Amino acid sequence: MSGTTETGTGAGTLRVRIVTLRDGAREMVPFEYRLRAPDEKPMALDVLLQAQATSMPDLAFRYGCRARNCGVCTIDINDKPRIACRARVRDGDTLSPMATLPALADLVVRRDGIARQMRGRLDPGPLGNDLNVAAPDDYHELTGCIECYACLDNCPMHARNFGGGLPAAMQGDLPDPAQGYRWGNPFSLLKLQRLRLDPLTGEAGRAAALDQAIDLGLDACVGCPGCKCGVGIDLKRKVVAPLVEAAGDRIGKKTD
Amino acid sequence: MSIETEWRDYDVIVVGSGGAGSHAAKAAAEAGARVLLVAKDPIGASDTKISEGLATVRAVGGEDDTEEVLAENLKMAGGDLPVRAITEAFAHDSQAAYDRYRSHGLRPPIDEDKHAPQAMPLPMGGHNRRRSVGHKNSGVAFGHANWQAVVQDRAIDYLEDAWFLDIATEESGTPDAPQKRVAGGLIYDAARGLLIAARAPSVIIAAGGLSTLYFPKTDTMRGNTGDSYAVAARAGADLVDMEQVQFLPFCLASPPSYEGLLAGEPVTASYLGVLRDKNGKVILDGVYLRTRAECSAAIMRAVEDGRGSPNGGAYLDMTANKKAPRSGPYFMRFLETSLPSAYVNARQALGKEAARCDEPWEVRPSAHYMMGGIRANEYGASVGGDGDGATEKGIAGLFAAGQAMGGVFGANRLGSTSLTEGAVFGARSGKAAADWARSHKAKPPDAAFEGLIEATRARFGQKGDVAAATLKLDLQREAWTSIGPVRSAERLERMAALLDSLSSRLDRVAIPPFATWNQAFIEYEELRNMLETARAVTAAARERDGSLGGHVRLDGGNVSAFSKPYSTLVRRTPDGRWTVGRIARERTPLGRIISYKLQDAKRKLQAKWLRMMPAERQDAELEKRYKAIMGKSGAAPEVMPGGPEAAVGEATNG
Repeated sequence: MSGTTETGTGAGTLRVRIVTLRDGAREMVPFEYRLRAPDEKPMALDVLLQAQATSMPDLAFRYGCRARNCGVCTIDINDKPRIACRARVRDGDTLSPMATLPALADLVVRRDGIARQMRGRLDPGPLGNDLNVAAPDDYHELTGCIECYACLDNCPMHARNFGGGLPAAMQGDLPDPAQGYRWGNPFSLLKLQRLRLDPLTGEAGRAAALDQAIDLGLDACVGCPGCKCGVGIDLKRKVVAPLVEAAGDRIGKKTD
Repeated sequence: MSIETEWRDYDVIVVGSGGAGSHAAKAAAEAGARVLLVAKDPIGASDTKISEGLATVRAVGGEDDTEEVLAENLKMAGGDLPVRAITEAFAHDSQAAYDRYRSHGLRPPIDEDKHAPQAMPLPMGGHNRRRSVGHKNSGVAFGHANWQAVVQDRAIDYLEDAWFLDIATEESGTPDAPQKRVAGGLIYDAARGLLIAARAPSVIIAAGGLSTLYFPKTDTMRGNTGDSYAVAARAGADLVDMEQVQFLPFCLASPPSYEGLLAGEPVTASYLGVLRDKNGKVILDGVYLRTRAECSAAIMRAVEDGRGSPNGGAYLDMTANKKAPRSGPYFMRFLETSLPSAYVNARQALGKEAARCDEPWEVRPSAHYMMGGIRANEYGASVGGDGDGATEKGIAGLFAAGQAMGGVFGANRLGSTSLTEGAVFGARSGKAAADWARSHKAKPPDAAFEGLIEATRARFGQKGDVAAATLKLDLQREAWTSIGPVRSAERLERMAALLDSLSSRLDRVAIPPFATWNQAFIEYEELRNMLETARAVTAAARERDGSLGGHVRLDGGNVSAFSKPYSTLVRRTPDGRWTVGRIARERTPLGRIISYKLQDAKRKLQAKWLRMMPAERQDAELEKRYKAIMGKSGAAPEVMPGGPEAAVGEATNG
């Protein structure tokens, strides 16, 4: 179909390592990606698809739209979270599951504990009869979140769920994701801040959203250098700062 | 050592968490039902989330948009295949459904003068009125609303990373009129490594479409492995119009990372855009007035004839639009702003010269949407029998919504209707499923599950010498060639033969025994569904021997709009064979069809006249038109053009 592939010379290939996990056994598997065109600069997802089509047919990984919209394909490349369908891979890269959540199989992590912790926490209160009120720009900025969970990286609030570190390094039992994680993260704060910015949310709903942010561990944001969004939302200014400011003394004095 | 089974009890099981599934679950919970929503992807990650984010809301652009006008618009555009009661339900509920989206947090731009959601300035693809509303962040904004509906509401139990494998049924009815009844469903909870046997009198299938049959020649979510149709068919449900797969003509053919993604729509080719073959010969002009199906067919016929582009497509040449000295800059602004995500795809994939329209774009069709599906009534309830069908002859307790449901769009879908469809029939089916459950309280028998559980457990640890993921690649290659954008009797035979061969190898797929996230088992189950669905498409495509809407036959003529309309009907027998038939559909009065045809002919004539004008006059005329579309802001309205007839709308808009 598209282009020719040089094989055997190394010029038409790209060597990566893929971390696999089957039935509890973890391995680092070398994979040689065959470029489909001489000048191809493949994305991580292309590498995973080719691995599945050739030597690793049962490779487990998530993907969806291939256009950075659905948010499900996030993996770590060289230990940094990247959206696999739009992250270029270089020779020598290591592809592994997102380290911030427990791995289920190969590159698949269990995401469930994040959404589940928000159950019942996003009640806007009575909406009133008039839906025809325009939302502010900041509200729409936050609905740009694709829920890729790249923002969990280096988040001290999220790390509290695993004794302050990563799930793989945690001593003792991991928390049960089916119960929802106890401590929050930039994504959960974004959902709460979005509720506060929604013109249809009543005063009670707004106050409750702030209480929820504090309950999820907003104090961890005090003095934190800040989080990074997978699609470029300014989390620090648009999400964290307004919440921390509104919480004021309620979190400012606490330290961990 | 095999996988364990957990038993649960519910009133309603909803499969899928996109627009249809989330509205169904919410409506069922509001009606007092105990609801379990099952999703294989993370909650809300669906075709709705990755869509262009345009919704059809009746009368948002003007008072003269009655329910009758919208219902007829849907039915005629669909080649009279849609069921009248279903199109009327869509027209009746579109506003309420949209307000439900808003109650879940969707916030449209507001027209302050009208104190209402702001309508797009032009009628979208195929609509005869302005009635579409666009949203910041496109479908992602809808994704947030669907997530909110499922996650926030503690009344809904949900599972993600869970594959709904099959519907459990029991025999009911009388000896004279036997009927199957839903007893629940069997679910593979991959995250916890368990089978869940969920007893429930109602199951709502809202698990999306089948475009992954054509991967990577699709712009939709990976999860579209035909689960909706396969699961319903194995339970014995009727499927209608399964040959009607909607392909978008102008998608990317290269580079590989972008293969399949949307680059443009017929209307974005604008007034002077043409399609060319590899020799530069024009294969279709007046592209902006053509249907998606016409454009796809022109491209694929050139490919068949050996005149295709290197990656199996053709060239969309918009350079004439660009070169015109006065109107050219307006065209570029129109192209950049009318379908922004598609333009970004094209710029990233094809490079700067192409993005400036200094050279033609290589394009190829992609699978986008399944218009056929589970045969249902206006509440999404499974029906069978003659004509529009009856619930007594369907599967009792089975419902469908969204892409899973047939009879809504027939042979062609109007732009911006699918997000509304999900909300309308999601809510309707959720309410109806809760009502059915309330009147059928008896606990379904465990015996209804025994065969399913036993067969599923036996798959874990199945010895074999092939991988499902490998067989899937064979299926996808052949599906594109034989049941893709163009078909022929010979290819349909070839498809059927390959399906036999692949199906016979399912028992040789190697599946390890472990229970937690067993990818080989997941691949096996999805392949099984893709094979069943491909059979349904193949059987229906054999029955429809002329070209109509999304079904293009290389070896047959077009089905006349004046002939008696019928839907194809396919059903899987318990031994795995497929039966095929036809259901007569009501035809729109001849006078209405003739007036529609005349209008279409007039538009094409006007377009030809425009193309023939002397260059300078043409340029001035085009400048005038772009200004009229783009208004003060200088940006084109974001459109979901495409559609047959972005331009029927243009004509009615004056």
